[in-house]
Amino acid sequence: MNRVVTKDFLSGLMFVAFGLGALYVGQHLAVGTPVRMGPGYVPRMLSFIMLALGVLICIVAVVSGSEPVERPKWKPITLVTIGIVCFALLFERAGLIPALVVLVMIASLAGEEFKLPEVIGNIVVLSVLCTLVFKVGLSMNIAVVQGIW
Amino acid sequence: MDLLDNLFLGVSVAFTFQNLTYALLGCMVGTLIGVLPGIGPVATIAMLLPITFHLPPTASLIMLAGIYYGAQYGGSTTSILVNLPGEASSVVTCLDGYQMAKRGRAGAALSISAVGSFFAGTVGTIIIVIFAEPLTRMAQKFGPADYCSLMALGLVAAVVLASGSVTKAIAMVFLGLLFGLVGTDVNTGAQRFTFDIPELSDGIDFAPIAMGLFGIAEIVVNLEKHLERSGAIKVGSLWPTREEIRRATPAILRGTVLGSLLGVLPGGGPTLGAFSSYTLEKRLSKNPGQFGKGAVEGVAAPEAANNAAAQTSFIPMLTLGIPSNAVMALMVGAMIIQGIQPGPEVMTKKPDLFWGMIVSMWIGNAMLVVINLPMIGMWVKLLTVPYRFLAPAILLFCCIGAYSLQNSTFHVMQVALFGVLGYIFVRLGCEGAPFLLGLVLGPQMEEYFRRAMLLSRGDAMVFIERPISLGLLIATAALLTLMALPSIKKAREEAFQEEG
Repeated sequence: MNRVVTKDFLSGLMFVAFGLGALYVGQHLAVGTPVRMGPGYVPRMLSFIMLALGVLICIVAVVSGSEPVERPKWKPITLVTIGIVCFALLFERAGLIPALVVLVMIASLAGEEFKLPEVIGNIVVLSVLCTLVFKVGLSMNIAVVQGIW
Repeated sequence: MDLLDNLFLGVSVAFTFQNLTYALLGCMVGTLIGVLPGIGPVATIAMLLPITFHLPPTASLIMLAGIYYGAQYGGSTTSILVNLPGEASSVVTCLDGYQMAKRGRAGAALSISAVGSFFAGTVGTIIIVIFAEPLTRMAQKFGPADYCSLMALGLVAAVVLASGSVTKAIAMVFLGLLFGLVGTDVNTGAQRFTFDIPELSDGIDFAPIAMGLFGIAEIVVNLEKHLERSGAIKVGSLWPTREEIRRATPAILRGTVLGSLLGVLPGGGPTLGAFSSYTLEKRLSKNPGQFGKGAVEGVAAPEAANNAAAQTSFIPMLTLGIPSNAVMALMVGAMIIQGIQPGPEVMTKKPDLFWGMIVSMWIGNAMLVVINLPMIGMWVKLLTVPYRFLAPAILLFCCIGAYSLQNSTFHVMQVALFGVLGYIFVRLGCEGAPFLLGLVLGPQMEEYFRRAMLLSRGDAMVFIERPISLGLLIATAALLTLMALPSIKKAREEAFQEEG
């Protein structure tokens, strides 16, 4: 088990997965000949090299071992990703300010310290700053609050 | 007198109000992020890429360059005052800089590092001016096969000099090349890896990838680490003593020379320069025991070296279009966003941009001395802003920036996706920089490869028959074999252990 859950072995697997994925997705692309290469020639070449390197990395990792993967902390990466996705969903539908409030709230939860007054202060400062910079300053075509401004 | 004409052109471009403003802006932002630990120039430039889309090409490149070398100046401030490296290239400055600060010589350490950086930056700029033309002329003789080999050499060299596992880094280069192929095939119009998403038919945008891989992943890792802030130390007098000047001057000179040389190498850049020059000073010193206890040379030499290297690392990017590190890959990305194809043509077709940028680098260096020394108090105050305020703000600017690229939330989603991928890379110990280099060079490399093969009627021997290409390939192979030698492998591992 210790020989498998290592940084090198897993990254080898990742490269193999990318190689196989690229081969699968690109299977309909014509390869062509070396003189007149089709759109699939270089992608296929790269996929096979990726596969080979991935397998090589896996083998070396199993034979000579490598560092174990540290236990990931799920909270920051999950919350940050959710925050960005929420921002993307809200930005056009609800406007800059609602998207901003949600993103900053969720992102602040990702840290170790969360003090509501501080976060609200941060939101107010950022709202004013972003409105001034992006709407007033750069006059970007965005809604501050959808339907109002 | 071509050189003087060119410099005059550069001066006339760089000294316009607009370009001076953007140079100043870049230097300010660079110093800011250099001072703040936990956010580096790569992440910042990645985040600001969308904004440059709205600026004129010269102004945007001047600003990005300013951020890059501004970060080298700002990083030293944090190293000296709070013993936290603001930048990777300032790690060694901590060793002696903080010790000097503890002895009440913080001001002297700061001014020596600023003046050393300025001197090194000036020399670096002069070197760019001298070597830009001959290198460009040489590059214009290159055929498609030669270019392909040159890119291979650039990619391999960047991998060898980067830290971590070589095999993994090479695999990352190939992964980057593969991602670079997404979009419409230029020769046939076929859709490749686009999953029928119309936004992908022009290729994956460079900015969201860079923002996700470097910006978001960096923020997440910092949130996990829970960055600690210690109280800042008093600055004291900025004037170094005569004894300090006497010892710092030769160190600055040596650091400048070494930094300039290492900066040109692919994969070199500021960090390598700083570490090597610290080692050199320690070896040359009559009493090496002083190092680590506040030796002036230990501050002066690495600071000069990292700045010289930051300047000269522009040379391969500007003349050949080959980025030597992640920041340069981003600069190439910024040029492509502006519709400029990086390479030897930049100098001949856009001389105003080329020389304007070079002159502005020197102006930027001069500005930075002013920004850093008299205004030091302001930067010290900034150090007290906790990361829990900064992280959401940085995320927010990433999102708005990504949206503004094409007014589409699809790009924001991409940032999220590549943020997750970037985090996986970090956890698996795979470096993002080789991926980015592959991504930037991918489309061009395929283009040159196909053209070379077409010209040679499908005969791969063309890469060996052309002398330039052959030479470059031999150099590439030599680098790879060197890496496999056990003794070198060990020395390299030790070098990077010192770094970590």
